[in-house]
Amino acid sequence: MSLDLQPLLACKLLTLADDELILGHRQSEWCGHAPILEEDIAFANLALDELGHAILWYQLHARLVGENPDTYPDQLVYFREPFEFRCAQIVALPNGDWAFSILRQYLFDVLENVLLAHYVQSAYRPLADIAAKIRPEEIYHLRHTSAWVKRLGLGTEESNRRMQNALDDLWPYTGQLFHPNPGEAGLVEAGWVADPHTLYTAWQAQVIPFLEEANLTLPTAKMRTLNRELPSQHLVGILSELQQVARLDPQAQW
Amino acid sequence: MPDTQWPQFIVFDQPKEGKPPFYAGAVHAPDPEMALLNARDVFARRDSHVYLWVVRESHIFAKTAEELLQGFSISSEETSENPETYYVFQKTAHKGTLVQVGEVEAANPESAMAAALASYSNPKAIVWWVFPAWAVHQTHPTENKSLFGPADDKPYRHSSFYPTVTLMREINLAKEKLNWEDE
Repeated sequence: MSLDLQPLLACKLLTLADDELILGHRQSEWCGHAPILEEDIAFANLALDELGHAILWYQLHARLVGENPDTYPDQLVYFREPFEFRCAQIVALPNGDWAFSILRQYLFDVLENVLLAHYVQSAYRPLADIAAKIRPEEIYHLRHTSAWVKRLGLGTEESNRRMQNALDDLWPYTGQLFHPNPGEAGLVEAGWVADPHTLYTAWQAQVIPFLEEANLTLPTAKMRTLNRELPSQHLVGILSELQQVARLDPQAQW
Repeated sequence: MPDTQWPQFIVFDQPKEGKPPFYAGAVHAPDPEMALLNARDVFARRDSHVYLWVVRESHIFAKTAEELLQGFSISSEETSENPETYYVFQKTAHKGTLVQVGEVEAANPESAMAAALASYSNPKAIVWWVFPAWAVHQTHPTENKSLFGPADDKPYRHSSFYPTVTLMREINLAKEKLNWEDE
């Protein structure tokens, strides 16, 4: 393995893992509050899946930086400061109403499907293996969330209005998801990861016609910040809750 | 209390190749596609599955053994319609569930039930269900990897991970030994 690519990939994996972790944590807040019992179970499953995917990316990150893959993920999740997280702002936004949460999950699911379809062909085998493992689950996620988006978009005046509001709020955050990491071009050149620009194009080609078919209008607002290195106020809030118990007693066995 | 949620769909599950589908439970959903997705999340997150079926509850014609003793009428007009396939399910033990025993050709639910009683006579049967094949919405085999595949790698998927289950089993076993009835 090329040594200079290793830290670049480790950094890229952290953005993937942090996105999954924070989104999974946010979505898990619906547990006990989803519109109906069946969806409560389904959405909690989905949140758990994202946490599971986060662990896989954190473990690979740990191997690349020479840490123990069994213990290092907990270190990363519970004992990093907000400014050390690399997640996009969209995953940390508060849940809002059901339309907002389901649409955010849909937009992210398309990203994951597009990304994993490329990553299964990664020249870096451990990355390709994880992508292959996660992919079937993400295909199901997308089926679930696109079913909801379609029904809410084409449903009642109220459901359409709420979906449109959600889209207006979420859209300016989507660009950041495809913003390349510093040095990512090297990974792309080596065939380890797909070109974020290619992913963005593929994502738009899937998302835009689907939203239009769901009777939603694409916002014209500009993309917000693209840099992932500035933690959002919402991330700070999530982490203070997520890390609270672990930090009470860092040496505790559990 | 009346059910004010979405329509109810009954979920059937084929656990293994060659095994008949059985009644797994019910989900609420606005339409069959959402019913299948809900069924997957509620009933198929852990064990192995070949396919799931969902059937609108209102499409199922059900009779208990007691109800059958009272008989039911079959309209002679309706029996002249073109016959179609009905699936036949039976429950033979109070602790058991409904399992498919076969299918019959019939023109309406009542005559399907009559045909089922004739073809699959079983003195142990305590509940009978029939419903037309067209009422079934089924997962497609090409989707199995995304619907059921991930469960194969999940930790804690087996009930043996949960000591409460084994504990309850031991309690029930002890009750049986003592001839202890809950009722």
